[in-house]
Amino acid sequence: MELRPLTKIAIYSLLSVAALFWLLPVLWVVISALKTNSDLYSYPPKLWPHPVTFEHFKEAFSKGDFGLYFKNSTIVTLTSTLLLLLINSMAGFALAKYRFRGSSIILIGFISTLMIPIEVIMIPIFKVLSALGMYNSMLAIIIPPAATPTGVFLMRQYLLTVPDELLEAARMDGAGEWKIYWSIILPMAKPILAVLAIFSFMWRWDDFLWPLIAISDPAKYTIQLALSNFIGEYSVDWGSLLAMSVITMIPVLVVFIVFQRYFVSGMITSGMKG
Amino acid sequence: MKRRTNFKLSFSLVLIMSLIMLTACGNTDNSTVNTGSTGGAKQATLDFLWFSDGNEGEVIKGIIKEYEQSNTNVKINLIEVGFKDLQTKLKTMISGGKPPALSRITDTGSFANQAVDLTPYVESADQFEGQFIDSLKPYYVIDDKLIAAPMDVTANGLIYNKTLFDKAGVKVPTSPEEVWTWDEYIAALKEVMAKGGARYGMVWDVTPHRWSTLLYQNGGSIVTEDGSAAAINSEAGVRCMELFKQLHKDGIMPESVWLGGENPNNLFRSGTVAAHWAGNWMISNYKDITDFEWGVTYMPKGTQRSSVPGGKFLMAFKGSGNEQEAAAFINYLTSKEVNSKYNQESLFMSPRKDSSVLDYEFGKEMYEVFSDELKNTSPLAANDWSRQTLISKISTDLKNNIIDVLSDKATAQEAMDKTAKLINEAIGSQ
Amino acid sequence: MNGGQSLNRKKQTGQTRKLAIAPYLFILPNLLIFGVFIVIPSLLGLFYSFHVYDGLNPMKFNGLGNYIKIIGDKEFWSTIGRTGIYAAIVVPLIYAVALGIAMLLAREIKMRGLFRAIFYWPTMISFIIVGLTWKWIFGDSFGILNHMLTLIGVEPVGFLTSPFWANAAVIIATVWSRAGFFMVIFIAGLQAIPTDYYEAARLDGATGLKVFRHITLPLLKPTSLLVFMLSLIDAFKAFPLIFALTGGGPGKETTYIVQYIYEIGFTKQELGLASAMSVMLFVIIGGFSALQFRISKGGAV
Repeated sequence: MELRPLTKIAIYSLLSVAALFWLLPVLWVVISALKTNSDLYSYPPKLWPHPVTFEHFKEAFSKGDFGLYFKNSTIVTLTSTLLLLLINSMAGFALAKYRFRGSSIILIGFISTLMIPIEVIMIPIFKVLSALGMYNSMLAIIIPPAATPTGVFLMRQYLLTVPDELLEAARMDGAGEWKIYWSIILPMAKPILAVLAIFSFMWRWDDFLWPLIAISDPAKYTIQLALSNFIGEYSVDWGSLLAMSVITMIPVLVVFIVFQRYFVSGMITSGMKG
Repeated sequence: MKRRTNFKLSFSLVLIMSLIMLTACGNTDNSTVNTGSTGGAKQATLDFLWFSDGNEGEVIKGIIKEYEQSNTNVKINLIEVGFKDLQTKLKTMISGGKPPALSRITDTGSFANQAVDLTPYVESADQFEGQFIDSLKPYYVIDDKLIAAPMDVTANGLIYNKTLFDKAGVKVPTSPEEVWTWDEYIAALKEVMAKGGARYGMVWDVTPHRWSTLLYQNGGSIVTEDGSAAAINSEAGVRCMELFKQLHKDGIMPESVWLGGENPNNLFRSGTVAAHWAGNWMISNYKDITDFEWGVTYMPKGTQRSSVPGGKFLMAFKGSGNEQEAAAFINYLTSKEVNSKYNQESLFMSPRKDSSVLDYEFGKEMYEVFSDELKNTSPLAANDWSRQTLISKISTDLKNNIIDVLSDKATAQEAMDKTAKLINEAIGSQ
Repeated sequence: MNGGQSLNRKKQTGQTRKLAIAPYLFILPNLLIFGVFIVIPSLLGLFYSFHVYDGLNPMKFNGLGNYIKIIGDKEFWSTIGRTGIYAAIVVPLIYAVALGIAMLLAREIKMRGLFRAIFYWPTMISFIIVGLTWKWIFGDSFGILNHMLTLIGVEPVGFLTSPFWANAAVIIATVWSRAGFFMVIFIAGLQAIPTDYYEAARLDGATGLKVFRHITLPLLKPTSLLVFMLSLIDAFKAFPLIFALTGGGPGKETTYIVQYIYEIGFTKQELGLASAMSVMLFVIIGGFSALQFRISKGGAV
């Protein structure tokens, strides 16, 4: 669909204004990380760092083995995301395309548990983890958080739009249920899988509570766990915190930029034309 | 449909990869799960929970290394978490049946029942307690049990912007004899605002703990000396509340700190505020300020002088399986030599009577002011703040009630009465 | 819509049986993990809610005591009310903003990826940094907004000290930080609308708003339900960001329910009571979700 030039201009100016509003605070974070402490706290506020300094980055990196934390976070994030994509898409498929007893109760139950503040059930979670021998194990921060209600819900709502005729046709051809899921549903769900991959990457990369509960071995620390050390009782090391926030944003941003290209139409037709 | 096959192929590939990774991580976990004893000289791994404000984390790591070298059977696993997460983590570990061997801790009272009584591990309780500043005793001796050991002591105090005071030509007290009265102090701040160009006279940390300094300087307290009833709604308490409100009304203090959540530390750093009511811990934080000169002076007196003592402690926990080793390590850390080194390098004040003068590489004269504040402190301050289970129940309400007064939702008397009622309820339920 | 059932009944019974078991097998891995790590601990939390418990010392059975206390706790209900109002404003706002941006960015336009990234960016900044950032903007005496106002001769505004402005600031910061997340969901939802519907509509001569009302919105129903429910839960759970921005203040003006529960459970160390409050919240939100779900028939098109 070609857009008229006037519409085009309108769209771009609207987007640019909104984008500016969204971008300014983010830019402030990045710029602040490059400021000296005296610029960071100066009044009237300074817009531009003078001079530009990397001292916060250096200092932050000197406060822990961040190479190791990055490695741990990467392993956890990648494995957990793959697991999440698999099990959430399976569950979402079941809830969207089959009618079975308890399906809506399961879904609503799933979603409502999002409401429980995890802090309140931390002690029982710890007990379960240690009963299963998962205390101080990376598995504890990979497996449990992968079963997200949000992911299941997201998959289900998307897959609702898959025409039933498609599945029936496949069944007529003798395809099994797993085959239908694997070779019809999954390829169709690519855009939503990309969305979920982006979300899961962010959730796990920024996860703090599960590592806090489960990990006590400094060799298994994730980045977020290490970052929280910058917050003391009386003072917060804002410089280091800003610097590390900028660095930790980069992988999430890259993943987003790569995966957002898959937000394309998965279903070319409504099935009306067969 | 080539793309579809590609997608499937890559999906299965990553799936397999992830499974391999999962099993790989799974395998490496078993080696570090526990710390049992294996005959002979007992090998022990001590989980040591820790939080940092400044560089004390680095200092303790150095000390741990030395300790491990001379005690080869002991390995110390320093678990660093943020301050606000320490209590949560500690609770989870204890209730989940895996307590750490020891922890750095501020709210000793909350964990009293889970703490190892250190009495059998020290020469004698009296001798041990005699080493430390007396006002700290109620924090670590509970029901005649030695539940913790002091690592450093803190004092609330007054940090001022020397550049602004000089510009206004206002002098600060340089010896305990010259201490301001509150009226003189307020007049001084007003002058610094008028002539020195300070936007605000002072900022004050948003915690009931820092607020209570004012209370003790006017002879008030949160609870009575025997702890049986609230005392905060006394005449002194109400007068303090009114003064605190007046300071806001007159624009000496910005409302944005207590009402709007602005960070007083960051405001003082901007160089436009004449004074910051904080504590000795701020010295190391402000060390890197280059835009202006700053210093520490004596807090003004009301009916008397007072600061509020506080501190960080070390606590060992029952059921870690390494109680003895933990106690031995605590003994080591509180010994004169190690404790002085720790406090000197971290820029903290030592709780030991015999190390009150340390050779700091920065701000030595400032610490002298703080330790003088501590010597001239109302005993009611420690009496209040060592009742930590009670304090934890009422501190949020106290803060909110103070804010209610500042935002004209309640009079000073109403707010203090309301707080007193909650305090009495909390005492009654214990 | 009715996947399994519309299947020709005359087909061999083997397949029907397979169809009956298949969904359970598909859901099993997720359910198993969720059951072990969330449901079991939650049931233990339910157990706490009948006790006096500080998270450390032995529990004391208290029957329905905690619940009775909550029912009479004025502050609990006023906090719920305040949270409800906040949600009632923030949810539609996020919905509209996210959908608006998504519709612009679902098109084939230049630098689409860049724009998308910009809107998504705030979602990945930790809340404590978001709080610092917005404080730097809204701060009463040291914020940049007030600094600029004074430069042009306008009286500074108490953005974080006046209840009204503090709530407005919280809402702006929330929309800013969450809209990107829901924008992504909407973009995917929009892409799932088969293009031939639009073509058909165009052939019928429908344009702009009409297409939006008669094609886009109805076909977006599954996504809309999803966004509504998730953003509602989001709003009720909004705590870390707001806490970092206002600390719940001035006073309690921006203290919402999860912060209240958190203070009871952790500052005041009454974990039993906090558990009971979580149970109440779970029931309230669960009921609300079920209702929404019923009304929209699960978002079926």
